[in-house]
This record gives sequence, C-alpha cells and structure tokens, in this order.
Amino acid sequence: MALKTLHPGGKTQSGRDRAERKLAFRMTAPSLVIMALVAAVPIGYAIWLSLNQYSVRTAGLSRFVGLENYINALASQEWWAAFGQTFLFAGLSVSLELILGTAMALLLNLAFKGRAVLRTVVLLPYAIITVVSAITWQTMFQPHMGLVTNVLSTLGLPGGDVVWLGEHGYAMAVIVMADVWKTTPFAALIILAGLQVISAETYEAAELDGASKWQTFVNITLPLLRPAIVLAAIFRTMDALRVFDLPFVLTRGANGTESMSMLAYTQLRENRLVGEGSALSILTFLTVMVVSVIYVRFAGGNIRDVAKEEQ
Amino acid sequence: MDLNRPALPLQNKARNRKALAATAVAAALLLSACGGGAAPQGAEKAAAADPASGANASGAVNICGVKDASGIYKGTAEAFTKANGKVTAKYTEIGATTDEARTQIVQRLEGKSTECDLFVTDVIWTSEFASQGWLLDQTKLVEANKDRLIPSTVETTKYQDKYWGSPFFTNAGLIYYQKDKVAKPESWQQLYAEAAKAPGNGYVYQGKQYEGLTVNFLEMLYSAGGEVLNDQGDVKIDSKETRDVLNFMSDGLKNGSADRAVLTYNEDPARLAYESGDFGYQRNWPHVYRLLNATPLASSFAVAPLPAWEGGKASGVLGGWNLAISAHSTNQAGAVAFIDFATTPDWQKHVAMDYSQAPVNEAAYSDAAVLQKMPFAAELLASVKGAKPRPISPVYPQISQAIYKNVYAVLSGTASTEEAVKKMADEITTAKASF
Repeated sequence: MALKTLHPGGKTQSGRDRAERKLAFRMTAPSLVIMALVAAVPIGYAIWLSLNQYSVRTAGLSRFVGLENYINALASQEWWAAFGQTFLFAGLSVSLELILGTAMALLLNLAFKGRAVLRTVVLLPYAIITVVSAITWQTMFQPHMGLVTNVLSTLGLPGGDVVWLGEHGYAMAVIVMADVWKTTPFAALIILAGLQVISAETYEAAELDGASKWQTFVNITLPLLRPAIVLAAIFRTMDALRVFDLPFVLTRGANGTESMSMLAYTQLRENRLVGEGSALSILTFLTVMVVSVIYVRFAGGNIRDVAKEEQ
Repeated sequence: MDLNRPALPLQNKARNRKALAATAVAAALLLSACGGGAAPQGAEKAAAADPASGANASGAVNICGVKDASGIYKGTAEAFTKANGKVTAKYTEIGATTDEARTQIVQRLEGKSTECDLFVTDVIWTSEFASQGWLLDQTKLVEANKDRLIPSTVETTKYQDKYWGSPFFTNAGLIYYQKDKVAKPESWQQLYAEAAKAPGNGYVYQGKQYEGLTVNFLEMLYSAGGEVLNDQGDVKIDSKETRDVLNFMSDGLKNGSADRAVLTYNEDPARLAYESGDFGYQRNWPHVYRLLNATPLASSFAVAPLPAWEGGKASGVLGGWNLAISAHSTNQAGAVAFIDFATTPDWQKHVAMDYSQAPVNEAAYSDAAVLQKMPFAAELLASVKGAKPRPISPVYPQISQAIYKNVYAVLSGTASTEEAVKKMADEITTAKASF
C-alpha cells in the first residue's frame, strides 16, 4: 500500500481508491439505513399523511387530497396568528436569553471563590421539567394570591391588579419570562465555553495598549465570542419556534399565545384530523428549517471568518 | 471483507440504490395500507352485547382507563372478583390524565388490540368511539338495566338511537356558597346580583380557555332553554338564548359579579381562590365538598344545585364515566357480568360512600349510610337529574373548541357577542361537515 502511493495517478491506485470508497460505503451502509429508518421514514410518512385526509367519522376511510391540507392551513387565520405569535415569542425570548446569557457567562468567567458551585447552581432552572416550572410561574402570577402580583400591589407598582394570564400582551410576557428564566443558563453555558477559548494574551495586549474595560469588551470579547453566541442563538431559536409546553400549561393558547406546535397538536391529538395536523407539523418543520438555513447562511459565514481570523 | 477484490461495477451501485428505493416505497405502501386500506366499518356494523351472557361468564376481564385517583376502579374490580367467583377482573391504568387516557384508548382501538375488554370512557367520548365501530352495541343491556339507572346518565351513552355504554358513575356541577354572606342561589340572575353587592360576595367559576369553560357556558345555556344541536343534529347555537347568556356572563365580569381572574381558572385554581374566603359563590364539582370541609370555611359553606335561568328551569351538564365494551374484547360475557355488578343499586351505594362519586342509581342518594358520608346527596341528585349531555357528535372535540374559544373571546373582550355567535355557529357547522 505504502509503495503504491509513490505512484500517484497509477491505474491500480485509482482502482484501490474506488475499492476503498466502496468499502467505506459498505461499512457505513448499516448506519445509513438506520438513520434513514429513524429520520427519513417518519418524516416521509408524515408528508404522506399530510397529503391525505382521514375520516373522523368512519374508521379506516381516507382519501388523497394532494396539497389541499396545506392550502387550507395557509389560508386560515389561525395558522398565521400562531405563526406571528410563535415568532414574537422566539424573537423576544432568544434576544433576552442571549443578552442575559452573555452577562451571566462573563460573571461566571471571573475568578472567585465558589465559582464551580455557582456554575452548577446556575444550571438548576434548566434541569427543571418545563411543565413543572410553567405551573410555578402560573402560581406566581395568580391574581390576588400570587407572589409577583402580591409584591407588585404591596409596593404600589403597576401590574399588581392585572390578571396577567388573562390579558393580551401580559400573557405573552409571562411565557417569555418563564422561558428566559429556564433557558438563560443554557445560553450562558455555551457562551462561557466560548469565553474560555479567548486567550489571556489578547487581553494583556489590549491592556498594554491602554484599552478601557468597555473597549476591551466591545472590540475583543464580543467579536471573539460571536461563534459561541451564534451557536447559542441557533439552538435557542430552533427550540423556541417549536414551543409547546409553556403556552399549553399557562394559557391553553388563549390571549394571543397559541404556537404553531399547539395548533398541530390540537388537530392531531384532540380532533384526530391526522392529515390536517400532519400538514401543520410539516409547515412548522419547514419554518424551523428555513430559519436555521438562514442562520447558517449568514451567521455561519461569520463563524468561518472568525475561525480564519483566529488562525 | 477482501481488500483485493476488484471494485464493484458501477451498475451495482445503481442497483443497490434502486433496491433501497424499492424498500422505502414498499415500506411507505405498507404504512399507508395500514392507514387507508382497511374496509370502512362504522357504528352500523357493530355487534351487540347479549345481556344474558353475563350469567355464564368466566375467565379474566381487563378494564382499562385513566389513573385511578379515588381507587374506585380497582376497588370495583376487586369487589366484583370476590362477589362473582368465576370471573376475575383487573384494572389497568393507561394514562395519567383524561387526555392521555383518551389517546391511549384510541391507539388500542385503532390497532384492534385485544388487551382491554372494557374501557372506562369520559361521557363525551362515546359518540366518537361508537361512530368508528370500536364499541359493542349495549342497547339490549341498557334496556335490561334501565329501571335502576337515572335516565339523564343513560343519555350520555346514546349515539344514533343506540346505547354504546353503561353509566358507571356520574357528575354534575354544584354551587358552593357562603351562607353567612350570600343567599342560596335560586336563579343565575339572583346569584349574579347578590355576588355584585359586596366585594367579598363574588362568584368564581372555570373561565380558562378549555373544556371546563364549555361546561360552565352550557350549564347556563341549557337552563336558559338554548341548545347547541337539536335532536336531528342541526346546529342551533345561533340563537337569542346564546346571545343572552354571553351578554350576561360578560356583564358579570364588568360589574364585579365575577372577578376577571376567572379567565385563568380551571377547577383547582377556582377552588383555591374560593378557599381564601374572599368570595361568596363557587361553581365546581362534587369532589370539592370534601376539600372545603378541611378548611376554615367548613362551618360557613353550603351546597346548592345549579340554579335556574330567570323564567326558565334549572339545568346542567353531565360529566362522569361510562363503561364501554371493546369490539375486540375476547371476553364479552365477562365484560357484561362486570357491568351488571358495577351498576347494581348495592354497589352504587359504595360508589358514593367509599369513593365520593355520584351514583347512577337514584335510590342510592336517599340511603341513610350514603347521606352520612355525602350530606349534599339531595342537591347532587337534583343537579344530576336536571342535567343534559354535552352535544352528541363524533366531532365533539371540535365543537367544544368552537364553543370555548368564542365564549372566551367575548369574556376577555376581544370579540363582540354578535361576532362570537356567528363564528361559533360557522365553526360548529364546519366541524360537523368533517369527513
């Protein structure tokens, strides 16, 4: 083998190459098949379901309707309302999580006693099941009895006598807060990993040049942190666009909080409209896909640039 | 694998790909066949349960349903096994919540599973399951047991003039009131007026956007003489009564009869709010009685049946659970025997005494031992007898969504009564036209 490589372009060599590629293909084939079974088949099946209508009146009756389910969904007010509400939620919660996450990461990156303990403690909200934390938030915003409403009215601040989960805008605010509280630590952790990669020498150089703390942060920390922040943003946005449990527990979709996933759930599970529900799931899936492609296109380029600069 | 083997010809790769594609297509076809290929089978073709078969039953019966919080399902299965001697019954929990249990039951029925002989079904599922041909026709069985069952509870199992289940225990809304602050509710109008008189008199109910709001709304609509569907199944919700009830409810939120917080309440938050002592009236289910008795309000609260609409009569909406026999049961005779036992007047007393549930047998409500455990039995019976089922339709979930979403829109002030009524009627008509 080693001998043969001395003659690049030789006939045997290319044969070898092909043989090796063949072998590689055959060796990866089992995992490809498994991946196809696990990922492609259910997605393909869901697409197939979304092209049909299944009778809710007569068991076993179905008809092929082509794109009708999609056309109906895209023509419905509910879909576009859910679409807008989901993006509003994702936009608000992800921006807050990134800002707070960066601040939290900067704090955790300082050298101080008990840092290891604090890093663990900070992760606790992330470890709590979303439904449980949703119920906690519901209790805190309960009118008259809730912690938040009580504190607000005792201090004479606005919002104390508001029925938060029963009012447009306020309900969305509670859902965003619940999400920010829970997932900021996750964003912080990713950003912290990014912080730790930045070498101390860069900072020393900046200090020697007489840069202020703020200048250092804006001109060194943030640009070098960008890949980590983008990564956190991608993860969080994809999650946020599929939000289900928070609005399901807190409002059941009332007061402008119904998300795309909730809509699909209602059609699929409650109404057993399998075709219509699958079309909604596929639309949600496509929305998330498009958003992540946009991210990778625009922000992904940044990742590569930064990597090049670092080299 | 031999590294020295000559490379596979290119066509082979293509052939492999073709084989892969063929497999995928075959898999897709197989899957779609499961979904669409089976011959349609509806309620018309369902087999009937034989009431006489219970007497000679033997073997094992598996009853499936929601998590057994009160212990009634397991308790009944044990008592039945002991009393019968030939048939052994066991209860299998297949879901932590009502919604989950429904999903699990639907999965088993769709897959023609023989695991469960009997399902404990929420009253609103009956027509949906029956229309699919998933249940055994229990008409003869119900006819045979009719004299021991409260007629309103039997109506919850009816679909297309046949009965598809036997009522096991029932449920109906009650009004809990603070007798030192407010008067006993005689009509909804009087209740709302009384509730608006002082800040501590308010009325709490279930006004969150969910099934409970449908129930709260229908209780008033039925007492006002309105209906959702008539006996022929036509949509009748676009009516003066619907408008009256919606205006009445939304006025109640504006003039302080009911706190705006009810827009976030389901059963438990409503109860907790009421326990604070800051309210006069509460609409809730019978199980709240025991819980209220354990609070400082124990001596000051009383129970009343749901009031009448002014100039109308008292009505309500039936909850509760039915026993439905799976069309794929392998022990139908055993299932019939279990139903016979569960609905006997004697066991129905235990339903009330041991598990605090509302019996489906009228005599149980006046039994001395029951009255001791359930002092509000007379009020409960009045509520149950006056109550009606929710709209009977295989697409009930969609109908209920049309109701609670639009009622919520009026209550929260995002839609006018007129808009909501029109939209409700439209959505129910669309739902009824579901394929």
